[in-house]
Amino acid sequence: MALAALKPLVRRHAEIGIFLIAALLVLWFSASSDGRWANFYNLASVLQVTATLGLMSLGVALVIGTGEIDISVGSTFGMGALVYLWLALRVDPALAMLAAVAVGAAIGAFNGLLITRTGTPSLIITLGSLMIFRGIAIALTEGFSFSIPYGDRSGATYWALGGGDLLGINTALVWLVVILVVLTVTLKMTPFGNRLLAVGGSASSAHSRGVRVDRIKLAAFVLSGVLAAFSGTLEAGKLGFADGSMGRLMELQAIASCVLGGCLLAGGRISLIGALVGAFVLSSIQSYLVVMGVKPQWFMLLLGIIVVAAAYGDRRLRNWSVTR
Amino acid sequence: MPDKTPLIQVKNLDLYFGAFHALKNVSVDFHSGELVGLVGDNGAGKTTLIRVLCGIHKPTSGEVWFDGRQVKEFHPKLAIDNGIETIQQSVGLCDNLSIARNFYLGREPVRRIMGIPFLDMGKMRDLSTKVIREFGLRDNVSADDEVERLSGGERQSVKIGRAVEFKNRVVIMDEPTNHLSVREREHVNELALQLKEQGLLVIYITHDIFQVHKLANRIVIMENGEKIEDALTSSMTADQLEEVIRQGGRKVEKREAV
Repeated sequence: MALAALKPLVRRHAEIGIFLIAALLVLWFSASSDGRWANFYNLASVLQVTATLGLMSLGVALVIGTGEIDISVGSTFGMGALVYLWLALRVDPALAMLAAVAVGAAIGAFNGLLITRTGTPSLIITLGSLMIFRGIAIALTEGFSFSIPYGDRSGATYWALGGGDLLGINTALVWLVVILVVLTVTLKMTPFGNRLLAVGGSASSAHSRGVRVDRIKLAAFVLSGVLAAFSGTLEAGKLGFADGSMGRLMELQAIASCVLGGCLLAGGRISLIGALVGAFVLSSIQSYLVVMGVKPQWFMLLLGIIVVAAAYGDRRLRNWSVTR
Repeated sequence: MPDKTPLIQVKNLDLYFGAFHALKNVSVDFHSGELVGLVGDNGAGKTTLIRVLCGIHKPTSGEVWFDGRQVKEFHPKLAIDNGIETIQQSVGLCDNLSIARNFYLGREPVRRIMGIPFLDMGKMRDLSTKVIREFGLRDNVSADDEVERLSGGERQSVKIGRAVEFKNRVVIMDEPTNHLSVREREHVNELALQLKEQGLLVIYITHDIFQVHKLANRIVIMENGEKIEDALTSSMTADQLEEVIRQGGRKVEKREAV
């Protein structure tokens, strides 16, 4: 059987499921939307959403790789956006981006230190920091939004930080591709990547071989915070404004992207490219619902149903791959 | 003959896990060129003691001296850097990584390109392939295969091969012949003797006093977290030592009553 020959490939590459799902959805959406979904303008906007959600998902995937979870990224995203918008006009957009990233790193360090020093589960710590930093964002903005007037958003830095297009596609996508390549190389080809996956595979075994488990976990949380805040910066650069609720529920989409993309929540097995395709699938579904004129109040429900169906399909594929 | 000054010196070591008193006032010396059998029943504290020596557990009180210097900080990294290789019983391999990656975990060889350290996969593959061939893993197992694929015996062989390959000053073996066939067992025991002949300190943990009596020049017996016997194999037979283990608990109670 020709199909049976594919089994080892599917077994080794957990992300194949999401590639297949993405291909099927693209075909379905293109065929059923009368050109409203599959046109350049709409796809460019899907890719912009994929870029910001994808950057966040990459960070979450690294944390999942160590066997932990980070659900604070939605708030970190919002904090990054607000810090960038607040400082970009007052100081300088490049420095504002660095400040936003520094805030993200600080939130990641806050999570990572609490988790590794106290041994408290990351789920509860990052749930707490999700609320803490959302609370700070809401308190800081006092119900208003931070914005940069359109006329002030000129110059190469604004353009590069999500405020402009390259060949018609938002510059955030360039960042995404570059960061994907850097992180993939880091994960597969450096001692740090080897140790990160070892920690997720068996923290006690990694420890017994001399790996500083706590430092690796801390580094993963810091990277996750940095990527979420940077992603918030790019989103703020595109929109030009943000309020305290910026990035709400994005953490759940990021985790869904990772799991759909073949990242094992138990740790040790992640696919960065898979997480990105997961983010692409989620943003495609959202945009399909928009162009098909589905009322926004149904989004959550439909998105949820499609995610569950996709996860189930992926599970079936995985099980099939291990049968004889 | 063993050196005069001990390579590892444990003085009045106590270790608590919460309220559980796992090691009770243990003092013992280990010399280079010795093969010491560490024997005792389940829960006697053998594994706990060597996990202090290899840096996994930090003692609650007491001192550990290595090569004339007191050990202040306990971490496996420091023990490995000091030349202590340990074949652990339940940990040591990450199922999700390849054999080559497990082999070098924590001490990965790198090639720097513009200052950035990249894994030297060629070196990692070559040496680990050589070792798994020497240790008789199935021919269709490659160094790039995940450890998950291996049988219990093959995992044990990888751990032993790694410790022997990186051997430096001390090799600690915790129940090294578990999961192994009769022939593999002989191979491991022979390796232990060779390491000793090369002047290393070998600490060999087992339940089986008869097996280790043939190999070791000294036997340390533990019971309930205490050291209850420390004797040269030339001075006591395996039968006598077995009797000590059998009587162990009772003898200890008597001592406490006095």
